Formats: sequence, structure tokens, C-alpha cells
Amino acid sequence: MDTLARFQLKAEARRFVLGYLWWIAEPLLYVAVFYVVFVKLLGNQQPDFLVFLAVGKLTFIWFSKSINQAAMSLVNNRGLIGQVSLPKHLFPLSIVQEGLYRQLAVFAFLLLFVMGSGYFPQLSWFWLLPIAALQYLLIVVCALVAAVLVCLRRDFQMLIQLGTVFLLFMSGVFWDVRALEDAELAGWLMALNPLVVLLDSYRQVLMHGEGPDMVRLGWVLVETLVLLIITMWLYRRLNFWLAQRAVTQ
Amino acid sequence: MSALMTLKNVSMSYHIPSGARGGRHSVFNNINLALAGGERLGIVGRNGTGKSTLLRIMAKIFAPSSGNVSWAPDTTVSLLSLGLGFRPDLTGSENALLACMLQGLSKRDAAADLASIQAFSELGDYFDEPVKVYSAGMRARLGFATALKNRSKVILIDEVLGVGDQLFRDKASVALREEMSEDRAVVIVSHAEAQMRALSTKMLWLGSDGKRAVGDVDEIFTLYNQ
Repeated sequence: MDTLARFQLKAEARRFVLGYLWWIAEPLLYVAVFYVVFVKLLGNQQPDFLVFLAVGKLTFIWFSKSINQAAMSLVNNRGLIGQVSLPKHLFPLSIVQEGLYRQLAVFAFLLLFVMGSGYFPQLSWFWLLPIAALQYLLIVVCALVAAVLVCLRRDFQMLIQLGTVFLLFMSGVFWDVRALEDAELAGWLMALNPLVVLLDSYRQVLMHGEGPDMVRLGWVLVETLVLLIITMWLYRRLNFWLAQRAVTQ
Repeated sequence: MSALMTLKNVSMSYHIPSGARGGRHSVFNNINLALAGGERLGIVGRNGTGKSTLLRIMAKIFAPSSGNVSWAPDTTVSLLSLGLGFRPDLTGSENALLACMLQGLSKRDAAADLASIQAFSELGDYFDEPVKVYSAGMRARLGFATALKNRSKVILIDEVLGVGDQLFRDKASVALREEMSEDRAVVIVSHAEAQMRALSTKMLWLGSDGKRAVGDVDEIFTLYNQ
């Protein structure tokens, strides 16, 4: 799986003139666009709004890109699936692994940007490791589910694309869940959308030097693990069926 | 010699959800067959009689609708089909490495096989070029060399031998006879009668309407050409 992921990265780097430089160029461009739109055009005076956006967006795109690419992983690999008997979870997982490598560069950029904006590294920053690990697990589960759905009906590809755009606005990339006036609504958002909890946790750690909300994170972990077990069981059960769907679609 | 692969009453049908042809369609029924080491099975049949589907069942990729397929312990199977399996952006060498690893070889063993794959495929410097610049014949050579050298016990070849120049076809036929020793077996699907006659030790015919027959080469070609 890891070899597949590394080869995919290599192939992708070869396709673009700037190759691996895109790993850093992409987050840099996001921050530049945010600066132009929110600070220059809309004149947002809120201090650190740019850092707030960068933390939200650069962690959110790890999720959205991985899911959208993994959704197509079974269908796109129908050639290989039709030729070698393999556990099918390998394909979405190799995409997730590929995204993880890319995200390491994005995290490095993000930390430099946050530090460059006047936040100094603190011990609490070590919380980033378990938070990122939990986000990785969530990405794994959603990627596995997305790949099966697209294998079932290609229409799900469009729904998943739209869904990630919807989530971009519903996960607190542009707004702060702690600043919502309706506390009950904030609670519901956190309970229903694990990304709200994760994005808030990153910001708590990086911008406020505080630990994350452990209870909320704990719930996300439990839900993710339960879903992971169910999904892996499904993949084992559907191994032949997935091959047939992917090849004959 | 005990069988590497045994098919018992293997049938395949598929479901077309709606439309004029909606309903359950049978591809083939009750195929019984055993393949032992050293054997080379040729499969013939018109288009749409399920040859490729049967190869996929033999390769453990599809499950039959009914019946049972069993493999001897540690039997690895390689399926070669035209235009499938290669990632166009990766080089021939990377694709070969990946294919060997997907067959269960460790990275070290797979890397050790690369030199012989490169030599057999006669790709020269193209081995380190992306597969997207390869011709169909070059792809077929890479696929064939990879399957031959990756130590699979059973090689299933779907129409691949028809591609590539005559010289490579002859070389491939010789290699199939010589390298596939007593503990390895080959299944070949092809429309090239001369090649099938030269290579097969026994044959399976898949006819329309689910008819089928297993027999020696002359017997099956008489049926097929009727």
C-alpha cells in the first residue's frame, strides 16, 4: 500500500512541471487568496483572522481532497482490480496514504506560517499529534465508504463532491464554533460533524495554547473506530462484488 | 500429480437491472475442470461466451454465481489481459515492481526479478520510460515478461500473445513450454488456432447458450470450427 502511495506521488510529481513544489505552493496560494479576499477586499480588521482561516482551511483540505480522490479509487483502478486478486481497501487507503505524505508538507508550512504570525511553539502543540491522528482515522473511514458508494453508482461522485463543498461551509473553516451565540446549536454542530471538533481543536492548540475538548474528541474517536470496524467487515464481505462492480461499470 | 486448480460445477450469470434485456443472464454453466502442474489449457469460444470472466474466476478476482473453485495451498495466479493493469504515468520498471509486489513478493524479491523482466521483455532503455509512451506490443511484452518471471504458479493469458511481433510471439511460446515446469501451469485464451495447437496440452470450448466441452486439441477445434 505504501509503495503504491509513493509511486502515485512520484507519478503525480512527474505530471506537473513544478512537481513536488506544488505541495507547498498550494497552501501558500490559499493563504494568499484569503489575504486578498478577506483582508484587502472585505477589509476584515479582526486580528489573526488570516491565521484562523489558514488553520481551518489547510486542515480541512486534507479531508476534502483525500475523500474526493479516494472516492474514485476503485473505479479508476478497475484495470488492476480486473487483473489481480487484492483486498479492495488497498486502493482507497493508498490514496489516503498519499494524502498523508502531502499533508506533512502542508503541516510544516502551516506551523511556519503560524509562527511567522507571532505565535510561539508551546508544549501544548504536542496535542497536534493525536488530533492529526484522529483526523487521519476519520479520513480513512470516509474514504473507504466513499469508494464503495462510487463503485455502487457513479452518481455518488457528484454527491460526494457537493458534500465536501457543503462541509467546507459547515465545518467552521470560515466561522468560529465558539463564537456562535446559540450554545445549543454549537453543541449540535459539534455532535453531528466531527470536522467541527477537529478544526476547533487545532485552533485551540495552535492559537490559544490550550488543550482540546477531550470529551468531544473522545466521542469522535469512538464513533470513528466503530465505523472503521463495520467498514472493514463490509470490504471483506464485498471483495468479489466490488471487483465485479468496478470492472463492469 | 495433484491439481493446482479445480473447478466444480462452476456457473456464472449476471443481472441486467432493466430495459429490453433486463433480467438474469447465464454466461456459462457447470464447468468441471482440473489443472495440474505442467499442463497448458487452451480456451476457445466466440466473443461473449465468458472466456475472460472464467479467467477472472480462476484468478480469484470474481466469485462464480454457483459452484466451487479450489486452489492447491500457496498457489499464486497471474492474469494477463490487454491494456489492463499498468499505470501509464509509472515507468515499465516501476509497474513491473508493483505487479510483482501485488502478487505477494517482498520488495527485495521483486527488485531482484527486475533485471530478468527487463531482459526478457527486450524493452531496453524504454524499461525506465513511462508506460504511456509504449506501443501495444511493448505493453504486452512487459506484461508477459512480468507474469513469466514473477514466480506465479498459474499464468492466465487473455489474448495477450496475439500482440507483439512474430519474433516475440515465438519467444513467448518457447518460454511458456520451457519455463512453465512441472509445478506451474498456463491457461491461454486466444483466437490464433496455430498458436493454440502448438501450446495447449488440453482444451476447453465455450459455446453459445452455455454449451461447453473439455477435450484434446483436435477434438475441441473440430467443435469450435463447426
